[in-house]
Amino acid sequence: MEAIASTYALPLLAALVLLPALAAVLSLAIPQKAFRNALIILTTVVMISASSFLAYAIVQAAGKFPIEISEHATETITWIIRGIDAIVLLYVIWLGIKEKRAVAPILAVIQIASLVCFEIFFHITEPATPITLDYLSLVLILLASIIGPLILVFSIGYMDSHEEHLHLTESRQPRFFAILFLFLGVMNALAMSDNILWMYTFWEVTTLCSFLLIGHDGTELSIKNAFRTLDLNMLGGVAFIWGIIAIYHAQSTILISDIVKLHIGPGLGWTFATGIALLCLAGFTKAAQFPFQSWLLGAMVAPTPVSALLHSSTMVKAGVFLIVRLSPVFAGTLLGNVVAFAGGFTFLAASAIAISQSNGKRVLAYSTIANLGLIICCAGIGTQAALGAAILLIIFHAVSKGLLFLCIGTIEDKIGSRDIEDMQGLMKIMPYTTFITVIGMMSMLLPPFGVLMTKWLAIEASVYLPPVLLLIILGSAFTVVFWAKWIGIILTMSYKPSYPVEKLKPSMGFTLGALLAIVLAASFGFAPIYNTLVVPHINSLRGISQSLILHANANGIYLNTDGYVSGGVLSYALFVILFLLMLGVPFFLYRTRPETIKPPYFGGELANDDIRGIDFIGPGDKVEQIIVHNYYMASIFGEGALTLWTSLIAGAIILVMFGVVL
Amino acid sequence: MEDLLHQITWPMLAIFAAIVVAPLLGGLLTGLDRKLTARMQGRFGPPILQPFFDFFKLIGKERITVNSTQTLYVLGALFFAVTSLVMLALGHDLLMLVFVLAFSNISLIMGAMSVRSPFSKIGAQREIIQMMAYEPVILLMVVGIYLVTKSFMIQDIFTYGSPLLYKLPLVFAAFLYILTIKLRKSPFDFSTSHHGHQELIKGLTIEFSGVQLALIELTHWYETVLLLCLVALFFAQPIWVGIIIALVAFVLEIIIDNICARTTWKFMLQLTWGFGIGAAITNIVWLYLAMGR
Repeated sequence: MEAIASTYALPLLAALVLLPALAAVLSLAIPQKAFRNALIILTTVVMISASSFLAYAIVQAAGKFPIEISEHATETITWIIRGIDAIVLLYVIWLGIKEKRAVAPILAVIQIASLVCFEIFFHITEPATPITLDYLSLVLILLASIIGPLILVFSIGYMDSHEEHLHLTESRQPRFFAILFLFLGVMNALAMSDNILWMYTFWEVTTLCSFLLIGHDGTELSIKNAFRTLDLNMLGGVAFIWGIIAIYHAQSTILISDIVKLHIGPGLGWTFATGIALLCLAGFTKAAQFPFQSWLLGAMVAPTPVSALLHSSTMVKAGVFLIVRLSPVFAGTLLGNVVAFAGGFTFLAASAIAISQSNGKRVLAYSTIANLGLIICCAGIGTQAALGAAILLIIFHAVSKGLLFLCIGTIEDKIGSRDIEDMQGLMKIMPYTTFITVIGMMSMLLPPFGVLMTKWLAIEASVYLPPVLLLIILGSAFTVVFWAKWIGIILTMSYKPSYPVEKLKPSMGFTLGALLAIVLAASFGFAPIYNTLVVPHINSLRGISQSLILHANANGIYLNTDGYVSGGVLSYALFVILFLLMLGVPFFLYRTRPETIKPPYFGGELANDDIRGIDFIGPGDKVEQIIVHNYYMASIFGEGALTLWTSLIAGAIILVMFGVVL
Repeated sequence: MEDLLHQITWPMLAIFAAIVVAPLLGGLLTGLDRKLTARMQGRFGPPILQPFFDFFKLIGKERITVNSTQTLYVLGALFFAVTSLVMLALGHDLLMLVFVLAFSNISLIMGAMSVRSPFSKIGAQREIIQMMAYEPVILLMVVGIYLVTKSFMIQDIFTYGSPLLYKLPLVFAAFLYILTIKLRKSPFDFSTSHHGHQELIKGLTIEFSGVQLALIELTHWYETVLLLCLVALFFAQPIWVGIIIALVAFVLEIIIDNICARTTWKFMLQLTWGFGIGAAITNIVWLYLAMGR
């Protein structure tokens, strides 16, 4: 099995990191549309095949896939990476001077100064294996290399209409796709890096990519929001580099695989713990946790595929990836509990504010922030079952949210609005997209779909942390509210004898279908995914509490406490029977007894024979249109009522996080 | 042989009870409800079996619908309710049961929102707010039970030595309070009510008729039995005490229904979050502290 690793390691790395980078360059160099489309499709095929093969290879090698690089090559790559880092930071400073923004360049200067001091004062020995692939990196690579390229395929069709709406004289698509390509390659590189300085560099490149993509349309608002992203994430970058320095000062290592073997305790001292807390802070900014949520909310000014990418497989997932990676270090400690509380608080606050939002994209954004909070919460708890929930939620959330953003993009492209209230009767305009959208939403809250299963697992895994538990419980009640309201609006329809055939651009229609298939496959494949990707990773970690263990097989999912079954979905068969009945019975009823169609009852006369019942004769024989909106309860859950206070509390929790390690 | 009995026969009997016996029981309880309510209002009231007569009459009616998807949602509500009852009968995970039951309710809400009727839509909005109010309390109840039995499995409640009530009095009180909302009894009958003369007429269920309405009634029967079973869980040792207490709770709900006037959803939300969640949390906090000793 070692043979696979040594033979295919470099080609795989090339396909997953260098190919996207090369595609980025080619996309800029050759602006012809036909060439670019061919490039996108080719890259998609290669990346999906390469990542699938990598999965096979890593599973075959039982999770050990170190990549041997000669000392000389390591040194060269290290210098290249230092160069990339310098370019990124200097570019940020130049941007700040050009656009007259102070915050980001100052933070960049601090980072450069910290890096230079670090290199001068500590004589770092470069580790021999800077790249290591394990199950957790595989999860991130699979997401970035399967969902990412599919989003690019979607963009082929989407960006044409997007640029049409903007009335551009010259297409800016070469730049757009170049950044997207680069982003995917960088995410893969980030997932593979075991040298934390390398990871830091790629971390900063993802920040820059997000900045460029969010500001892509070049409007005043998009530039403003792009700079907010840059400011907050450069702050995270400062926390990251300081964290690295603190950890190196305490333990003299820059290898992540060495760091995660340690466990915070009296023996290790406060410098190390502070370093870990700083890395968590960096993760919070990247994962848009409260009080740093504003950058992700602002990010939706970018073209929809950018949102789909940022929310599903890239950027924010890097933040939770880091915290899940570090989980064994703080699991079971006070720091771990505070991290869990911080994540739980974001889950609650974001879910509550989502209730008051009528902008579909904002609802999705708050839902993303909430789910990232839940992932961080589970990583903070850090028991076997909780970590399982965290990694599974990374997967399930990525596939569902990637799909949902593309659906919203498709809907907005057609109806010209992203307001939930404008989505009534969508079924008669775009049945294909509506159907997929609804399934995508259902996958966020319907048992036994993956997201709901992880929520269930999160509650069962947090029973011994009552404050965290309360946050998750209240948060999940809010989650139900905003999804139910939205799905209800989308499914509102009057009687239709037949549905039109929806005309979608092939690239968009194909991507929606493919992502839907992935969403369904992920949920049905809960047990195999969990057993092949998640369990071996958790078992390879040290210091993880084994008192609560999740098992999954073809029959169901079981939760074991000290050897006996204390919870679980004991039988998938129940759900299979249920769904078959739900599809079969209406069909049977429809066949046996025809239905009479009537308009709804209005307590008064309708103005015409329209079966939809829209015009109604009101008082004084005036014809009134019937319009009913959802409740948004803005006085209780509105951003005005909650954002300031929740951000202040979240800031206080972060201070507590540093307080407990000092 | 005994093994076979244990592994196949008992689960089969339990599933049979959940699917066939439960609705009969639920229908009888509804009949009892109507009779008692009538007596309290000084009327003679319909026969106890009236709900069943109504049910079969509705089944035989002409199929009228507003759109072609309504039946799907009604069936969703019914099947998810049945599934949760089957999970209860088999002693499965209580938390998952709560999620499945919640989706039964969401399915009905979808059905109500799928038509362009303001009455139905506002009813659905209120129902969503009700869910938001009571869902945390039910989840806290599950957690409370876990902290006592150290398991989420319902079967472990039966093997636990003493009644849960001794350790969960406040959680039980909060659950009884929630029961009024779940059963859509006055003062919390603002999403729909048994009599169609509130400001939303029939609210949530206004656009369902014939077979659809019959199925909603059936769902309600299943749900009533399920909720009363959850009440009985607090006294699972011995179970007959639990059944008596559940019936007493049901009669109590009928009395409350008849002596209360409808409130507003805002008041309900405050009361549930203040009293319901407050009581449940208080109980859980002391359980947790006692566990540390």
